[in-house]
Amino acid sequence: MEDQHFFIRLHIMEKTIIDAESKSLLPDFGEILRYRQLLFSLAWRDIRVKYAQTYIGLIWAFINPIFNLAILSFVFGTVVKVDTGEVPHLLFTIAGLSAWTYFSTLLSDAGSSIVGAQSMIKKIYFPRIVIPLSKAISGLVDFGVTLICLIALMFYYGYTPGPYILWLPLFLLLALFSGLAGGILASALSVRYRDFSFVIPMIVRLGLYATPVAYQASAVPETYKTIFYLNPMVGVVEGFRWALFGTSAPDPLMFYSIGIIFIIFIIAIIYFHKVEDVMADIL
Amino acid sequence: MSDVAIKVENLSKKYRIGNNAHSTLRDTLSNLISKKKSEEFWALKDLNFEIKKGEAIGIIGRNGAGKSTLLKILSKITRPTTGRIEINGRVSSLLEVGTGFHPELTGRENVYLNGSLLGMSRSEIKSKFDEILDFSGVEKFIDTPVKHYSSGMYVRLAFSVAAHLNTEVLLVDEVLAVGDADFQKKCLFKMDEIAGIGKTVLFVSHNIDAIKKLTKKSLLINDGSLEAFSGNENVINRYYGSKLASNYRKYSEDSIIDSVEILVEDQITIICSYRNLEVPNFPHLGFLISSLHGEVIFGSNPTLSNKSISTSYVSSGKLKINIKSPVLNKGQYVLSIFLASHSKDLFIDEQCLTFSIPSTLNSSFGFVSTDCEFIINE
Repeated sequence: MEDQHFFIRLHIMEKTIIDAESKSLLPDFGEILRYRQLLFSLAWRDIRVKYAQTYIGLIWAFINPIFNLAILSFVFGTVVKVDTGEVPHLLFTIAGLSAWTYFSTLLSDAGSSIVGAQSMIKKIYFPRIVIPLSKAISGLVDFGVTLICLIALMFYYGYTPGPYILWLPLFLLLALFSGLAGGILASALSVRYRDFSFVIPMIVRLGLYATPVAYQASAVPETYKTIFYLNPMVGVVEGFRWALFGTSAPDPLMFYSIGIIFIIFIIAIIYFHKVEDVMADIL
Repeated sequence: MSDVAIKVENLSKKYRIGNNAHSTLRDTLSNLISKKKSEEFWALKDLNFEIKKGEAIGIIGRNGAGKSTLLKILSKITRPTTGRIEINGRVSSLLEVGTGFHPELTGRENVYLNGSLLGMSRSEIKSKFDEILDFSGVEKFIDTPVKHYSSGMYVRLAFSVAAHLNTEVLLVDEVLAVGDADFQKKCLFKMDEIAGIGKTVLFVSHNIDAIKKLTKKSLLINDGSLEAFSGNENVINRYYGSKLASNYRKYSEDSIIDSVEILVEDQITIICSYRNLEVPNFPHLGFLISSLHGEVIFGSNPTLSNKSISTSYVSSGKLKINIKSPVLNKGQYVLSIFLASHSKDLFIDEQCLTFSIPSTLNSSFGFVSTDCEFIINE
């Protein structure tokens, strides 16, 4: 058994070549794949550490979105009384909030992840991009919690999702790519410029109102629509509600914000790879 | 398959000191307008060497010689400025005790986390887990968060993970100093065993004894250049020789300290010449005398000694330290020099000179001689 193992290892023996001259534009995706275990280990660590030593543990994961939901639905539902069509305001808001929260948590967690992991980066080698990537997995826990609240509310209001529900994973994936694109870029930029630790929270705060979480995208005047849809989360949030409640489908303008997401994502990957080599030196 | 484990060609590493180390957006913007010059510093200069599979190699050199930088480049933490390296096989490294360990997680969870940081799959770690646990000797506390561990337990578990995983090359920086003597012995034995089964071990240490025990060949790095790479006897002699050849060390033009000299006669005298010193008070020059293994034996500075400090001084001159007591026993010792003003370090050279005490009149155990009486009570 041991011998056999030894032979298998000999065959896949890696050869590492470090060459100061050659530098690829894109990261080594094969290597990232080999480190997939780390992706889950880091996500597991984040989840464990986040709720370790708190008295009520995972209950905190419920309190946070419930608070946000309460504030948003009081301001927009009770005070301002925005029109949400036939969907009750509370349900309308939590659907948008679940997508928004996943995106914003991912953006800020991934954005600060490299600076946060500097002691590790200076002493151990692994593909650095695994750090921000792992935040997409750990963020799923909080997303799952809001999803549970959402399902509970749907039961309460007697809503059964239609066939569009099959589109929901696609919109979740879009939220993931948007969060990662911004997060990876910000994490690499903040290696040199710590200024980005101020920029990201600002974007998140602003974004909550610039995204139709608690109001309908159709309420935005036609003249601003093109600019409005530049925010990739507009399409995602609208898509979430369409998939869940079968309300109006997202505007085709959405495709153009998807295009923007992927352009930013590719730029982020390339820039991150460029900065990767000097991270240990300048962090 | 070739029998070469690591092949290093024309390896150099340049660091920038000063401006670019921590920049903000504003710095970058202002740099666009006026190019500020940042100082360059070559941590490694044109290294060439080849290490065969199954060899255990020691790396020796003074502090700041570039030993750790070399390990960092070999483990891919940082990139070289020039040169090419070929490594056959997977590399695991232990550069600092328990990096990647999270204090809130248990020992078990940290083993899995650390294993995956080294690129292992879950099943690989699982298959080695019992061995790791057994070697570390922390079985009882494996399900306790590691924040409750002592530093010794930390290093034991960390070393166990790095040493047991299926990698072909193991890089170990000076981390074992933390563990107790028993565990150090165990680690050396383990590294010996690892090398015995065809794996390659690179080991940085100030502890020449440990190097001698573990390795047959060593690399000597001095100011970023490879000074020697051959059998231990030869390299270690050169290491001491390079420092012993003179009791005198001269520094570069821009250094505030021009030279340091140590004279061993009836008493030890340190003579330190400085220049362009502009401090309000008496130059705060301190020294430490330590053993070759790095333990501090004694040391002092003007404030601590508190005797006959003249308040006036010239900006360029010589400072003399007469050490009247204690008297050192026969052996080799290391001198470190520090110059500070108002809690600001102006100059530090740890291990700047090695000197030897040829013989002492009244010998005793340990580093310093003792003057004592033995009285029998009737």
